[in-house]
Amino acid sequence: MIVKEWCMYCGECAGVCPRNLIEVREISLNFNKEECKDCRICVKACPVQALEKGDD
Amino acid sequence: MIETDILVIGAGPAGSTAAKHAAMAGSSVILMDKKSEIGSPKRCAEGVSKEGLKKLEIEPSERWVTKELSGVRMVSPNGTAVNLTEDKVKLPEAGYILERKVFDKYMAMDAGRAGAKIMIKTLATGMKREDDQMVVTAERMGEEFQIKAKIVIAADGPESRVGRWAGLRTSLKPKDMESCAQFEMAGVEMEEPDCIEFHFGSVSPGGYAWIFPKGDDIANVGLGVLTTMTDKSAYEHLLEFVENNPATKNAQAVELNIGGDPVGGLLKKKVTDNVLVTGDAASMVNPLTGGGIISGMLGGRIAGQVAAQAVMEGDYSEKGLGIYEELCERELGKSFEKYLKAKDYLLSLSDEELDQIAEVFKDSDFETINTAEMVRKLVKISPKALLKLGKLF
Repeated sequence: MIVKEWCMYCGECAGVCPRNLIEVREISLNFNKEECKDCRICVKACPVQALEKGDD
Repeated sequence: MIETDILVIGAGPAGSTAAKHAAMAGSSVILMDKKSEIGSPKRCAEGVSKEGLKKLEIEPSERWVTKELSGVRMVSPNGTAVNLTEDKVKLPEAGYILERKVFDKYMAMDAGRAGAKIMIKTLATGMKREDDQMVVTAERMGEEFQIKAKIVIAADGPESRVGRWAGLRTSLKPKDMESCAQFEMAGVEMEEPDCIEFHFGSVSPGGYAWIFPKGDDIANVGLGVLTTMTDKSAYEHLLEFVENNPATKNAQAVELNIGGDPVGGLLKKKVTDNVLVTGDAASMVNPLTGGGIISGMLGGRIAGQVAAQAVMEGDYSEKGLGIYEELCERELGKSFEKYLKAKDYLLSLSDEELDQIAEVFKDSDFETINTAEMVRKLVKISPKALLKLGKLF
Protein backbone atom coordinates (compact mmCIF):
# COMPACT_ATOMS: atom_id res chain seq x y z
CA MET A 1 0.00 0.00 0.00
CA ILE A 2 1.30 3.42 -0.91
CA VAL A 3 0.54 6.13 1.64
CA LYS A 4 0.55 9.52 -0.01
CA GLU A 5 2.30 12.46 1.55
CA TRP A 6 -1.02 14.18 2.35
CA CYS A 7 -2.30 11.35 4.60
CA MET A 8 -3.55 12.89 7.85
CA TYR A 9 -3.51 9.65 9.89
CA CYS A 10 -7.20 9.98 10.75
CA GLY A 11 -7.55 6.20 11.05
CA GLU A 12 -10.66 5.70 8.95
CA CYS A 13 -8.81 3.10 6.88
CA ALA A 14 -8.01 1.14 10.04
CA GLY A 15 -11.63 1.31 11.18
CA VAL A 16 -12.95 -0.35 8.02
CA CYS A 17 -10.10 -2.84 7.49
CA PRO A 18 -11.89 -6.18 7.93
CA ARG A 19 -8.65 -7.91 8.96
CA ASN A 20 -7.31 -5.36 11.45
CA LEU A 21 -4.08 -4.95 9.48
CA ILE A 22 -3.56 -1.20 9.79
CA GLU A 23 -1.84 0.43 12.74
CA VAL A 24 -2.34 4.20 12.96
CA ARG A 25 0.39 6.07 14.75
CA GLU A 26 0.41 9.83 15.32
CA ILE A 27 2.24 10.50 12.07
CA SER A 28 2.59 7.16 10.36
CA LEU A 29 0.58 4.20 9.12
CA ASN A 30 1.79 0.60 9.30
CA PHE A 31 0.26 -2.02 7.00
CA ASN A 32 0.60 -5.74 7.47
CA LYS A 33 1.18 -6.41 3.76
CA GLU A 34 1.50 -10.18 4.10
CA GLU A 35 -2.04 -10.62 5.45
CA CYS A 36 -3.70 -8.11 3.08
CA LYS A 37 -6.28 -9.67 0.73
CA ASP A 38 -6.39 -6.62 -1.54
CA CYS A 39 -10.05 -5.80 -0.81
CA ARG A 40 -9.23 -2.07 -1.16
CA ILE A 41 -11.94 -1.04 1.30
CA CYS A 42 -9.37 1.18 2.98
CA VAL A 43 -8.49 2.87 -0.34
CA LYS A 44 -12.14 3.76 -0.96
CA ALA A 45 -12.77 4.91 2.61
CA CYS A 46 -9.98 7.47 2.78
CA PRO A 47 -11.55 10.96 2.93
CA VAL A 48 -8.63 12.50 1.00
CA GLN A 49 -7.63 9.65 -1.34
CA ALA A 50 -4.27 9.26 0.34
CA LEU A 51 -4.03 5.48 -0.15
CA GLU A 52 -3.10 3.69 -3.33
CA LYS A 53 -2.63 0.02 -3.92
CA GLY A 54 0.95 -0.50 -5.04
CA ASP A 55 2.50 -3.36 -7.00
CA ASP A 56 3.56 -5.73 -4.24
CA MET B 1 5.98 -3.84 34.52
CA ILE B 2 3.50 -1.11 35.52
CA GLU B 3 0.41 -2.39 37.31
CA THR B 4 -2.97 -0.72 37.58
CA ASP B 5 -6.58 -1.64 38.25
CA ILE B 6 -7.93 -0.03 35.08
CA LEU B 7 -6.18 1.03 31.89
CA VAL B 8 -8.13 3.36 29.61
CA ILE B 9 -6.77 3.50 26.06
CA GLY B 10 -7.72 6.72 24.29
CA ALA B 11 -8.17 10.13 25.93
CA GLY B 12 -11.05 11.47 23.89
CA PRO B 13 -14.16 12.61 25.77
CA ALA B 14 -15.37 9.02 26.29
CA GLY B 15 -12.01 7.73 27.55
CA SER B 16 -11.40 10.67 29.86
CA THR B 17 -14.90 10.37 31.28
CA ALA B 18 -14.39 6.65 31.88
CA ALA B 19 -11.05 7.33 33.58
CA LYS B 20 -12.50 10.10 35.73
CA HIS B 21 -15.42 8.02 37.00
CA ALA B 22 -13.29 4.93 37.60
CA ALA B 23 -10.81 7.02 39.60
CA MET B 24 -13.58 8.76 41.52
CA ALA B 25 -14.87 5.33 42.54
CA GLY B 26 -11.48 4.47 44.06
CA SER B 27 -9.70 2.44 41.37
CA SER B 28 -6.12 3.05 40.32
CA VAL B 29 -6.38 4.26 36.71
CA ILE B 30 -4.03 4.95 33.82
CA LEU B 31 -5.35 7.01 30.90
CA MET B 32 -3.14 6.76 27.80
CA ASP B 33 -3.30 8.45 24.41
CA LYS B 34 -1.11 8.04 21.36
CA LYS B 35 -1.21 11.74 20.54
CA SER B 36 1.22 14.36 21.74
CA GLU B 37 -1.64 16.79 22.31
CA ILE B 38 -4.95 15.49 23.62
CA GLY B 39 -7.84 16.77 21.49
CA SER B 40 -5.74 17.65 18.47
CA PRO B 41 -6.35 17.36 15.61
CA LYS B 42 -10.10 17.51 16.08
CA ARG B 43 -12.20 15.13 14.05
CA CYS B 44 -15.60 16.55 14.61
CA ALA B 45 -18.05 19.40 14.09
CA GLU B 46 -17.90 20.19 17.84
CA GLY B 47 -21.62 20.41 18.60
CA VAL B 48 -23.04 19.30 21.96
CA SER B 49 -26.45 19.65 23.57
CA LYS B 50 -26.99 21.66 26.72
CA GLU B 51 -29.10 18.81 28.00
CA GLY B 52 -26.24 16.35 27.48
CA LEU B 53 -23.72 18.40 29.43
CA LYS B 54 -26.27 18.80 32.21
CA LYS B 55 -26.82 15.06 32.31
CA LEU B 56 -23.06 14.58 32.65
CA GLU B 57 -22.97 17.25 35.39
CA ILE B 58 -20.48 19.34 33.44
CA GLU B 59 -20.74 23.10 33.80
CA PRO B 60 -20.18 24.88 30.47
CA SER B 61 -16.96 26.92 30.59
CA GLU B 62 -16.14 29.97 28.51
CA ARG B 63 -12.71 28.41 27.99
CA TRP B 64 -14.14 25.70 25.75
CA VAL B 65 -17.54 26.96 24.59
CA THR B 66 -17.10 29.05 21.46
CA LYS B 67 -20.74 29.65 20.64
CA GLU B 68 -24.16 29.24 22.22
CA LEU B 69 -26.80 28.29 19.68
CA SER B 70 -30.39 29.35 19.43
CA GLY B 71 -31.64 27.06 16.71
CA VAL B 72 -31.26 24.84 13.70
CA ARG B 73 -31.58 25.62 10.01
CA MET B 74 -32.22 22.74 7.64
CA VAL B 75 -31.67 23.38 3.96
CA SER B 76 -32.95 21.27 1.07
CA PRO B 77 -31.01 20.77 -2.18
CA ASN B 78 -32.65 23.77 -3.92
CA GLY B 79 -31.87 26.04 -0.96
CA THR B 80 -35.29 26.04 0.72
CA ALA B 81 -34.71 26.46 4.45
CA VAL B 82 -36.69 25.26 7.43
CA ASN B 83 -35.74 27.17 10.56
CA LEU B 84 -36.31 25.62 13.95
CA THR B 85 -35.61 27.49 17.11
CA GLU B 86 -34.65 25.95 20.42
CA ASP B 87 -37.91 26.84 22.16
CA LYS B 88 -39.89 24.96 19.50
CA VAL B 89 -37.97 21.76 18.96
CA LYS B 90 -35.10 19.87 20.56
CA LEU B 91 -32.39 18.45 18.34
CA PRO B 92 -29.80 16.16 19.89
CA GLU B 93 -26.68 18.13 18.98
CA ALA B 94 -28.03 21.67 19.43
CA GLY B 95 -26.75 23.73 22.29
CA TYR B 96 -23.10 24.75 22.15
CA ILE B 97 -20.21 24.62 19.73
CA LEU B 98 -17.04 23.62 21.54
CA GLU B 99 -13.35 24.17 20.99
CA ARG B 100 -12.49 20.48 21.08
CA LYS B 101 -8.77 21.06 21.40
CA VAL B 102 -9.46 22.78 24.71
CA PHE B 103 -12.47 20.71 25.79
CA ASP B 104 -10.76 17.34 25.38
CA LYS B 105 -7.78 18.51 27.40
CA TYR B 106 -10.06 19.79 30.13
CA MET B 107 -11.85 16.45 30.32
CA ALA B 108 -8.49 14.66 30.59
CA MET B 109 -7.41 17.14 33.27
CA ASP B 110 -10.60 16.34 35.19
CA ALA B 111 -9.67 12.66 35.00
CA GLY B 112 -6.20 13.54 36.28
CA ARG B 113 -7.64 15.58 39.13
CA ALA B 114 -9.86 12.63 40.06
CA GLY B 115 -6.69 10.53 40.43
CA ALA B 116 -6.03 9.00 37.00
CA LYS B 117 -2.44 8.93 35.77
CA ILE B 118 -2.26 10.43 32.27
CA MET B 119 0.26 9.15 29.74
CA ILE B 120 0.45 11.09 26.46
CA LYS B 121 2.30 10.11 23.28
CA THR B 122 1.84 6.51 24.37
CA LEU B 123 0.68 3.98 21.81
CA ALA B 124 -0.73 0.55 22.63
CA THR B 125 0.88 -1.92 20.24
CA GLY B 126 -0.46 -5.22 21.52
CA MET B 127 -2.47 -6.94 24.23
CA LYS B 128 -2.61 -10.41 25.75
CA ARG B 129 -4.34 -12.10 28.68
CA GLU B 130 -2.10 -13.29 31.50
CA ASP B 131 -3.12 -14.64 34.93
CA ASP B 132 -6.69 -13.35 34.71
CA GLN B 133 -5.45 -9.86 33.77
CA MET B 134 -4.54 -8.01 30.57
CA VAL B 135 -0.98 -7.11 29.65
CA VAL B 136 -0.78 -4.24 27.18
CA THR B 137 2.46 -3.52 25.36
CA ALA B 138 2.97 0.20 24.84
CA GLU B 139 5.47 2.52 23.21
CA ARG B 140 6.41 6.01 24.28
CA MET B 141 9.18 8.11 22.73
CA GLY B 142 11.08 5.03 21.57
CA GLU B 143 10.69 3.14 24.84
CA GLU B 144 8.68 -0.09 24.97
CA PHE B 145 7.07 -1.20 28.20
CA GLN B 146 4.16 -3.22 29.53
CA ILE B 147 1.14 -2.34 31.63
CA LYS B 148 -0.76 -5.01 33.52
CA ALA B 149 -4.39 -4.13 34.19
CA LYS B 150 -7.33 -5.93 35.71
CA ILE B 151 -9.60 -4.20 33.23
CA VAL B 152 -8.87 -2.43 29.94
CA ILE B 153 -11.34 0.15 28.64
CA ALA B 154 -10.93 0.55 24.88
CA ALA B 155 -11.77 4.14 23.96
CA ASP B 156 -9.47 4.26 20.95
CA GLY B 157 -11.90 5.66 18.44
CA PRO B 158 -13.53 4.24 15.33
CA GLU B 159 -10.21 2.69 14.29
CA SER B 160 -10.15 0.69 17.55
CA ARG B 161 -7.68 -2.15 17.53
CA VAL B 162 -7.88 -2.83 21.25
CA GLY B 163 -11.40 -4.25 21.01
CA ARG B 164 -10.30 -6.47 18.14
CA TRP B 165 -7.28 -7.70 20.07
CA ALA B 166 -9.77 -8.80 22.70
CA GLY B 167 -11.80 -10.69 20.11
CA LEU B 168 -14.61 -8.14 19.76
CA ARG B 169 -15.84 -7.23 16.29
CA THR B 170 -15.26 -3.49 16.33
CA SER B 171 -14.34 -3.19 12.66
CA LEU B 172 -16.99 -1.41 10.63
CA LYS B 173 -18.52 -2.08 7.26
CA PRO B 174 -18.24 0.85 4.84
CA LYS B 175 -22.03 1.34 4.99
CA ASP B 176 -21.73 1.95 8.73
CA MET B 177 -18.83 4.43 8.60
CA GLU B 178 -19.26 7.91 7.22
CA SER B 179 -16.21 9.40 5.63
CA CYS B 180 -15.99 13.00 6.79
CA ALA B 181 -14.08 16.13 5.80
CA GLN B 182 -14.35 19.57 7.35
CA PHE B 183 -12.78 22.98 7.06
CA GLU B 184 -12.67 25.48 9.86
CA MET B 185 -13.24 28.69 7.91
CA ALA B 186 -13.19 32.45 8.40
CA GLY B 187 -15.27 34.84 6.34
CA VAL B 188 -18.39 32.65 6.51
CA GLU B 189 -21.58 34.61 5.80
CA MET B 190 -24.43 32.67 7.42
CA GLU B 191 -28.10 33.59 7.01
CA GLU B 192 -28.68 32.71 10.67
CA PRO B 193 -25.34 33.01 12.48
CA ASP B 194 -26.79 31.70 15.76
CA CYS B 195 -28.11 28.49 14.20
CA ILE B 196 -26.37 25.31 13.16
CA GLU B 197 -27.06 24.56 9.53
CA PHE B 198 -27.65 21.17 7.87
CA HIS B 199 -27.74 20.66 4.09
CA PHE B 200 -29.34 17.48 2.78
CA GLY B 201 -29.40 15.59 -0.49
CA SER B 202 -26.91 14.75 -3.21
CA VAL B 203 -24.55 17.41 -1.91
CA SER B 204 -23.44 14.73 0.55
CA PRO B 205 -24.55 11.21 -0.45
CA GLY B 206 -25.37 9.05 2.56
CA GLY B 207 -24.97 11.89 5.04
CA TYR B 208 -25.34 15.65 5.15
CA ALA B 209 -23.28 18.80 5.03
CA TRP B 210 -23.08 21.18 7.96
CA ILE B 211 -22.12 24.71 8.88
CA PHE B 212 -21.60 25.08 12.61
CA PRO B 213 -20.90 28.67 13.70
CA LYS B 214 -18.04 29.33 16.12
CA GLY B 215 -18.63 33.05 16.65
CA ASP B 216 -17.92 36.09 14.48
CA ASP B 217 -17.45 34.92 10.88
CA ILE B 218 -15.86 31.58 11.87
CA ALA B 219 -17.51 28.20 11.29
CA ASN B 220 -16.86 24.50 10.92
CA VAL B 221 -17.95 23.64 7.40
CA GLY B 222 -18.00 19.95 6.67
CA LEU B 223 -19.80 16.89 5.44
CA GLY B 224 -20.01 13.15 5.78
CA VAL B 225 -20.58 10.69 2.95
CA LEU B 226 -21.08 6.95 2.73
CA THR B 227 -18.45 5.64 0.35
CA THR B 228 -20.97 3.01 -0.73
CA MET B 229 -23.06 5.82 -2.25
CA THR B 230 -20.47 7.92 -4.08
CA ASP B 231 -17.32 7.53 -6.13
CA LYS B 232 -15.92 10.85 -4.98
CA SER B 233 -14.01 11.35 -1.76
CA ALA B 234 -15.43 13.33 1.15
CA TYR B 235 -12.82 16.01 0.45
CA GLU B 236 -13.97 16.38 -3.18
CA HIS B 237 -17.57 16.73 -2.05
CA LEU B 238 -16.49 19.32 0.50
CA LEU B 239 -14.68 21.43 -2.08
CA GLU B 240 -17.82 21.44 -4.25
CA PHE B 241 -20.04 22.33 -1.31
CA VAL B 242 -17.85 25.22 -0.21
CA GLU B 243 -17.63 26.60 -3.73
CA ASN B 244 -21.37 26.43 -4.36
CA ASN B 245 -22.77 27.51 -1.01
CA PRO B 246 -23.51 31.26 -0.70
CA ALA B 247 -22.34 31.29 2.92
CA THR B 248 -18.92 29.83 2.20
CA LYS B 249 -17.98 30.78 -1.34
CA ASN B 250 -15.95 33.77 -0.10
CA ALA B 251 -14.66 32.10 3.06
CA GLN B 252 -11.14 30.80 3.62
CA ALA B 253 -10.06 27.60 5.31
CA VAL B 254 -7.64 27.76 8.21
CA GLU B 255 -7.85 24.09 9.14
CA LEU B 256 -8.73 20.77 7.48
CA ASN B 257 -10.11 17.90 9.54
CA ILE B 258 -10.93 14.43 8.32
CA GLY B 259 -12.02 11.13 9.83
CA GLY B 260 -14.54 8.35 10.02
CA ASP B 261 -17.83 8.56 11.88
CA PRO B 262 -19.35 5.24 12.99
CA VAL B 263 -23.04 5.74 12.24
CA GLY B 264 -24.29 2.15 12.10
CA GLY B 265 -25.77 2.02 15.59
CA LEU B 266 -24.41 0.75 18.89
CA LEU B 267 -21.86 -2.09 18.72
CA LYS B 268 -23.75 -5.25 19.74
CA LYS B 269 -21.07 -6.85 21.91
CA LYS B 270 -19.03 -4.35 23.91
CA VAL B 271 -17.71 -6.59 26.67
CA THR B 272 -15.49 -9.59 27.05
CA ASP B 273 -13.35 -10.89 29.91
CA ASN B 274 -11.32 -7.95 31.32
CA VAL B 275 -12.27 -5.58 28.47
CA LEU B 276 -14.96 -2.94 27.88
CA VAL B 277 -15.30 -0.92 24.67
CA THR B 278 -16.69 2.61 24.78
CA GLY B 279 -17.14 5.84 22.79
CA ASP B 280 -16.63 5.82 19.02
CA ALA B 281 -14.91 2.43 19.35
CA ALA B 282 -18.32 1.05 20.37
CA SER B 283 -20.15 3.17 17.77
CA MET B 284 -21.73 5.33 20.47
CA VAL B 285 -22.69 7.85 17.84
CA ASN B 286 -26.17 9.08 17.01
CA PRO B 287 -26.77 7.33 13.66
CA LEU B 288 -28.89 10.21 12.36
CA THR B 289 -26.81 13.24 13.34
CA GLY B 290 -23.38 11.62 13.55
CA GLY B 291 -22.88 13.38 16.88
CA GLY B 292 -21.01 11.32 19.43
CA ILE B 293 -19.48 13.57 22.08
CA ILE B 294 -22.27 13.38 24.66
CA SER B 295 -23.29 9.80 23.88
CA GLY B 296 -19.64 8.70 24.06
CA MET B 297 -19.22 10.42 27.40
CA LEU B 298 -22.40 8.85 28.75
CA GLY B 299 -21.06 5.45 27.64
CA GLY B 300 -17.65 6.31 29.11
CA ARG B 301 -19.19 7.18 32.45
CA ILE B 302 -20.99 3.85 32.56
CA ALA B 303 -17.78 2.02 31.56
CA GLY B 304 -15.75 3.74 34.31
CA GLN B 305 -18.34 3.05 36.97
CA VAL B 306 -18.90 -0.58 35.96
CA ALA B 307 -15.15 -1.24 35.78
CA ALA B 308 -14.53 0.29 39.21
CA GLN B 309 -17.34 -1.76 40.71
CA ALA B 310 -15.89 -4.92 39.13
CA VAL B 311 -12.48 -4.14 40.64
CA MET B 312 -14.07 -3.77 44.07
CA GLU B 313 -15.86 -7.09 43.65
CA GLY B 314 -12.83 -8.84 42.14
CA ASP B 315 -14.81 -10.14 39.16
CA TYR B 316 -13.47 -9.00 35.76
CA SER B 317 -15.18 -11.72 33.75
CA GLU B 318 -17.48 -11.03 30.84
CA LYS B 319 -20.35 -12.07 33.07
CA GLY B 320 -19.24 -9.75 35.86
CA LEU B 321 -18.93 -6.82 33.46
CA GLY B 322 -22.12 -7.74 31.60
CA ILE B 323 -24.19 -5.04 33.29
CA TYR B 324 -22.33 -2.57 31.04
CA GLU B 325 -24.23 -3.87 28.00
CA GLU B 326 -27.54 -3.50 29.77
CA LEU B 327 -26.86 0.03 31.00
CA CYS B 328 -25.59 1.19 27.59
CA GLU B 329 -28.65 -0.27 25.92
CA ARG B 330 -30.87 1.60 28.34
CA GLU B 331 -28.95 4.89 28.01
CA LEU B 332 -28.29 4.87 24.25
CA GLY B 333 -29.46 1.78 22.42
CA LYS B 334 -33.19 2.38 22.30
CA SER B 335 -32.94 5.95 21.02
CA PHE B 336 -30.31 4.90 18.47
CA GLU B 337 -32.73 2.36 17.00
CA LYS B 338 -35.22 5.16 16.33
CA TYR B 339 -32.53 7.40 14.85
CA LEU B 340 -31.43 4.57 12.56
CA LYS B 341 -34.97 4.28 11.18
CA ALA B 342 -35.22 8.04 10.68
CA LYS B 343 -31.87 8.00 8.89
CA ASP B 344 -33.00 5.13 6.69
CA TYR B 345 -36.00 7.25 5.67
CA LEU B 346 -33.90 10.36 5.07
CA LEU B 347 -31.47 8.47 2.84
CA SER B 348 -34.32 7.06 0.78
CA LEU B 349 -35.46 10.54 -0.31
CA SER B 350 -34.54 12.07 -3.64
CA ASP B 351 -33.46 15.70 -3.96
CA GLU B 352 -36.91 16.52 -5.35
CA GLU B 353 -38.67 14.92 -2.38
CA LEU B 354 -36.41 16.78 0.05
CA ASP B 355 -37.26 20.05 -1.70
CA GLN B 356 -40.97 19.27 -1.46
CA ILE B 357 -40.68 18.47 2.24
CA ALA B 358 -38.81 21.72 2.90
CA GLU B 359 -41.46 23.62 0.94
CA VAL B 360 -44.26 22.09 3.03
CA PHE B 361 -42.57 22.69 6.38
CA LYS B 362 -40.77 25.99 5.80
CA ASP B 363 -43.60 28.06 7.28
CA SER B 364 -44.86 25.50 9.78
CA ASP B 365 -45.34 26.42 13.36
CA PHE B 366 -43.48 23.60 15.09
CA GLU B 367 -44.88 24.69 18.43
CA THR B 368 -48.36 23.57 17.45
CA ILE B 369 -47.83 20.91 14.78
CA ASN B 370 -48.39 17.40 16.13
CA THR B 371 -46.63 14.21 15.10
CA ALA B 372 -49.62 12.74 13.27
CA GLU B 373 -49.98 15.88 11.19
CA MET B 374 -46.26 15.87 10.42
CA VAL B 375 -46.35 12.24 9.24
CA ARG B 376 -49.51 12.93 7.22
CA LYS B 377 -47.71 15.71 5.37
CA LEU B 378 -44.67 13.50 4.75
CA VAL B 379 -46.82 10.63 3.45
CA LYS B 380 -48.49 12.99 1.01
CA ILE B 381 -45.06 13.73 -0.51
CA SER B 382 -43.79 10.19 -0.39
CA PRO B 383 -45.84 7.16 0.78
CA LYS B 384 -42.67 5.39 1.93
CA ALA B 385 -42.72 7.68 4.97
CA LEU B 386 -45.57 5.60 6.34
CA LEU B 387 -43.54 2.42 6.01
CA LYS B 388 -40.28 3.82 7.26
CA LEU B 389 -41.50 6.21 9.95
CA GLY B 390 -44.77 4.58 10.98
CA LYS B 391 -43.20 2.54 13.79
CA LEU B 392 -41.29 5.46 15.20
CA PHE B 393 -44.24 7.17 16.80
